Amino acid sequence: MREKIIIGLAVFAGALLAWNMNTIFTKLPDELNQGAIYRIIYFHVPANILGMSGFGLGMLFSIGYLVTKDLRYDALAASVTEVSLVFASIGLATGSIWARIIWGVWWAWDYRLTSWLVCWLIFGGYLMLRRAVDEPNQRARFAAVVSILGSVNAYISYKSIEWWTTQHPQPVLSIRNGGGMAAGMEAPIWWNVLALACFSIILVMVRMRQESFAREIDTLRRMAHAQ
Amino acid sequence: MLLGLGAAWLIMFIYVVLITLRERKLRKELDRVRRMVEHPNK
Repeated sequence: MREKIIIGLAVFAGALLAWNMNTIFTKLPDELNQGAIYRIIYFHVPANILGMSGFGLGMLFSIGYLVTKDLRYDALAASVTEVSLVFASIGLATGSIWARIIWGVWWAWDYRLTSWLVCWLIFGGYLMLRRAVDEPNQRARFAAVVSILGSVNAYISYKSIEWWTTQHPQPVLSIRNGGGMAAGMEAPIWWNVLALACFSIILVMVRMRQESFAREIDTLRRMAHAQ
Repeated sequence: MLLGLGAAWLIMFIYVVLITLRERKLRKELDRVRRMVEHPNK
């Protein structure tokens, strides 16, 4: 059943992405000031949306673990956070390339970029912490605390472009009352969010299976030592 | 623009390769530990 869901999601996401890429590259006009380069937004924004919302989701699963002590919540939190970190990396890399072309620099230490980099480092540390602690419950507890702290930072990063003046543009999407894009130009962002969300669900499902393998290995090892 | 697109797909590709390698390693380890538990004297 799991395999069928993964294949179904992959086919749907692949078809949606192909159709949307065709729209982005052949049907949409260049942006007035930036020219063709503005199309990076169709990967930069969806990747960061998935990164930020994934960190938030990971925090909810971490709280679920702290409340119930059920290690399945911890496995979900670890899987979602790892995949979200990949999307956050894509967001940082595409943002940096975009900045180099439009601002003339690879990086600016403004509130948005700095807080998002700090967030990336916190969740990178989260994954390193998980490798460093062997005892499952202790690992889950420590990781949950880091996840909550990191998610607070992710929220600060999300709001930073409203709270402070930054080199990074202010909100442009209509759901944040930005109004900076024409309707036809904004829709492909959301289609890409949907397609990449399907890919991220596939990756989380694969990671969850790996977490269950790891738990089984751990249990069998304990049994072997007890024999 | 192509550099940005390439970077996005490269990061995703590297992660998919890493996750695939990890899956293979875990399956091998699971088989090994299962054999160890089923036949402890081998």
